Formats: sequence, structure tokens, C-alpha cells
Amino acid sequence: MIESFKQLEELGRDRDLADVFLETDEQEHGIAKADILLALTRRRAVMRDCVERGKGGGLSMGKLVGDEAKKLNEAFLAGKTFLDPLTVKAELYALSVMGENSRMGVIVAAPTAGAGGVVPGMLLALEEERNIDPEKTVRALVVAGGIGSIIALSANISGAAGGCQNEVGVASSMGAAAVAYMMDGSTRQSIQAAALALKNTLGLVCDPVGGLVEVPCVKRNALFAVHGLTAAQLALAGVESVIPMDEVVEAMVRIGRALPRGLKETAEGGLATTATGCAIGSRLKDEANQRRADRAAERERLAQERKASTH
Amino acid sequence: MATRHDRKVSILDVMGPVMVGPSSSHTAGTARLGRVAREILDEDPVEVRFILHPPLAATYRGHGSDFALVGGSIGLNVDDPRIPEAIRIAEQMGVEIVFTEEDLGDVHPNTVRIEIRGKSREAEITGSSIGGGVIEVFNLNGFQTRFKGDSPTLLLFYRDRPGMISEVTRIIAEEGINIASLYCSRKQRGKDAFMQIDVDSPLGHEALARICAVGDVAEAKYLDRIP
Repeated sequence: MIESFKQLEELGRDRDLADVFLETDEQEHGIAKADILLALTRRRAVMRDCVERGKGGGLSMGKLVGDEAKKLNEAFLAGKTFLDPLTVKAELYALSVMGENSRMGVIVAAPTAGAGGVVPGMLLALEEERNIDPEKTVRALVVAGGIGSIIALSANISGAAGGCQNEVGVASSMGAAAVAYMMDGSTRQSIQAAALALKNTLGLVCDPVGGLVEVPCVKRNALFAVHGLTAAQLALAGVESVIPMDEVVEAMVRIGRALPRGLKETAEGGLATTATGCAIGSRLKDEANQRRADRAAERERLAQERKASTH
Repeated sequence: MATRHDRKVSILDVMGPVMVGPSSSHTAGTARLGRVAREILDEDPVEVRFILHPPLAATYRGHGSDFALVGGSIGLNVDDPRIPEAIRIAEQMGVEIVFTEEDLGDVHPNTVRIEIRGKSREAEITGSSIGGGVIEVFNLNGFQTRFKGDSPTLLLFYRDRPGMISEVTRIIAEEGINIASLYCSRKQRGKDAFMQIDVDSPLGHEALARICAVGDVAEAKYLDRIP
């Protein structure tokens, strides 16, 4: 078992990082390497589907988001975007996945659903823009998963435990390492990319408006997909984090503990308690009460029907 | 930094699961907790009560945890597109669903106690959805446990007496199956006891029948990996 990033760097020196993780996982969890790759090939396909479906947009369950991917896609297709295509696509694909997620569509939690747009946004955009073999993307998903599994040894990967740094922060860190791998970086560069990405998300709170995975989650995934790409770029150029990755994770755990409860997914602080956030929150509560009342009426109707049919 | 070995998760746990949105801790993890309760009950439920720890009670509705908990408790998987309709489906099945709130103590914010009742029996679990769809069940029918649903598991309810562990593990060894971890707890010496054995490969019907036949075993339940 790999217990730290320091150990990972030693094990992975001059080796293919995906191979290191595949071997460790096979030993630890008894899942054959071929089966891990097969499962991740399917998951890459689910991500790809999400991106295609999501580009069209559509209103979310809470009706707070919906047309972000559609708008960006239209601007891109019309040649009205000013960023380079890799960056635009990373944003677009992240928005697409998160749109699907907000409509209760089938997605891949990577590592969570609320942060599930970051990794596919980065990896699928890069695959397309640099003509990378999809098999390499699948191996990059191994790297992303492996990085996440080491973080998970000391941190709960959930906004409820430590805020959004534990979700979107971790996702951008995993994605940055995977991108460095896809661009043929060394193991050390992947770990540095992970550290640079994570370090610069520390303190990010989880304050979803109305408690929904919609605001700010959907757009945040797009912005942090780009953040992860820039971290990978720095690492590939040889820029290194002064604070080693293991210590960055330690800091994340401490910050997560120090964050007040209201900023950890409870919708009792931050954006959720702004004037607009509160107004949306109470509207959602009213709608939920209405739905409950409707369901009770429906239950009553079914009971009456059953009674009538037994007579 | 303390590394917690019980937090070992695989690559597929991190890059997954494939699930219905919108939240892995509130939708996927909670659906799996519901599913654990359903598997332990091992028959169609008639009534399911979800007792939510306050932080979960504050957030569950917005994240679709209500659909997910109910979906799992009627046997739906986390990637089943019917999860958004789970409450309606449960009502059509005639299942009584109750949600309440209670402080469950010093536990993870996303913790729930599920009391599930069928026609002939009932079960109760308490567990947390700790993120990314990963769960930890720490109480099962009143016994302390540490169940994650990530490997095939044998759950054994029996009367506490010397030699029980060796008799059961011998049968498993004779089947050529490796034990990954073993956990025992009991309510009182010589009284009701519980054993959880996580195994590396599936346990056959024959082995299960042999274990059921061991003296003082009240009930043996075999659960596959919870998808």
C-alpha cells in the first residue's frame, strides 16, 4: 500500500505512474489490472456521453442552472470565444457534466458528483485537442484515482467534512497530476502538479445555495478545471511547490476541521445566506412542502383506489 | 499526519461510482446505505424509517438524498435511472416511508439510522456516507460493526461461546477462501453475539449451509459487494 506521496515518488521514479497504481491496487484490493482498465474504459465512455448530452443544456432540478454549457458551446461554435480551444473545451465539458449531474443524470463521481466535472473537463479536452489516444486517457484516470486514494487515507473526500477544498480542490489536484501524466511528465511532475493545484484551493468553502449542487458548484467545476490545467503547466515547466504534497494534504485536513459547520455543505453560511441565496432557499423550501403535500394527496388517492377495488 | 488504514479505498472507488446525480455523499452513498438495510432485511420492506443526523437532515432534500435512501431501501442501485422516481415507486409498492431527525452523537455529518421492517422480520443499521459514495456502517441490529460493503461479507448472529470463531473460520478455510478481515462484538458475555467476516472471494451456498448448521448460530447472512 502507498501511504504517502513521498513514498509514491520513490516507488514511481523512472516508472510509468499508472503501472505503479495498477500494481498496488491489484495487491491491495484484489482487482486485476485488466479489470480496473476495463471499468475505467467504461467510465470514460460515461463521461464522454455526459459531455455530449450536457452540451445541449436543460433546466436543473432546483431550476437555478441549466443553459451554461449551451451558451458557451454556441459561442465557441460561432468563433466568439477568446481563450484557446483547450481552455474553452475544459470549461465546456466540465459545465456539460455538471449540468447532467444537476438534472439527476447518470454521471461518474470523480471523486464526488459535486466535483465530477473537473477531471473529465480537463482530460477529455486535452485528449481531443492534442490527439491523445483514449487508452492513454484511461491510464490517466488510473493516475487521477490513485492520487485521490492517497489523499483519502488522511482526508474525507466530502464537502461536509472539510468544505469544497475537499471536493473540487481534490478533483483539480487529481486532474492536474493526470494531465501531467498525459503530457508525458515524470512522476515527480505529476505529484508537483497535484500539490500546486490543491495548495491553491485551500480554504475553499462549501456553501451551496438552497443546499443544492447547483450554485456555485456547476460553474466552479469549469473554473477549477482550468485551474488544474495551469497547475499541470507550471509543474511540466519544472515549477515546484515549496510545501510538499503530503504537507499540503495535512494543511487541508486542518483547515477543514477549523472551518465552521455553516461553511461545510449545510447551506447555513457563505453564498447560501446572502440575500439572494436566502430568497432562493425559502422558495425551494416552499416548493418542497408543496411536493410533499402533493405526494400525501397521491397516497390518499391510491389508498382510496385500493379500498374501492377490494369492495 | 495520521494515515488511517481503514480508509483504504481503491482507484475505482475514487474514480466512481457511476451514479445518478447530484451528490455522491448525499445520493450515491445514501442509496448504498439504504441498499445495505434492504439486503440485511432480505425481503420486500413494508415500512422504512430514516432517522437523520441533524447536518444531514438540513441538506438531504436538496441533494435528493430522500430519493436515494428510499431507492436503495427498495433495492435500486446507485446508477439506476429510476432513483429520481424512487419515492413514487415505493408508495406504489405500498411501503410506508418516514423521515425524522435525531442527534446520533459524535458521528460524521452524513449519518443515518435506518429501521426497516418487512412482513416477517426487521433490521436496523446506522451508518455514514463519508464521501465519493463510500459508506461506513458502524451499527447493525444493535451490534457494533465496521461494514463498508466493498467486499463479499458474511454476517453471523450467534450465542457467544468458546470455539465459535475457529469453527466458522475453519469452514471458510476448507472452502479455500481467504478472510480479509474479521470483527466480533457481543451484547453480553455468553449471550447474543455478532461476527462480520469480509472475504476475498464469493462464498458458495454449500459453505453458507455448513456455517448455518454450526451449533448456536442463530442466523448467517451472506452479502455480496454492495454496488
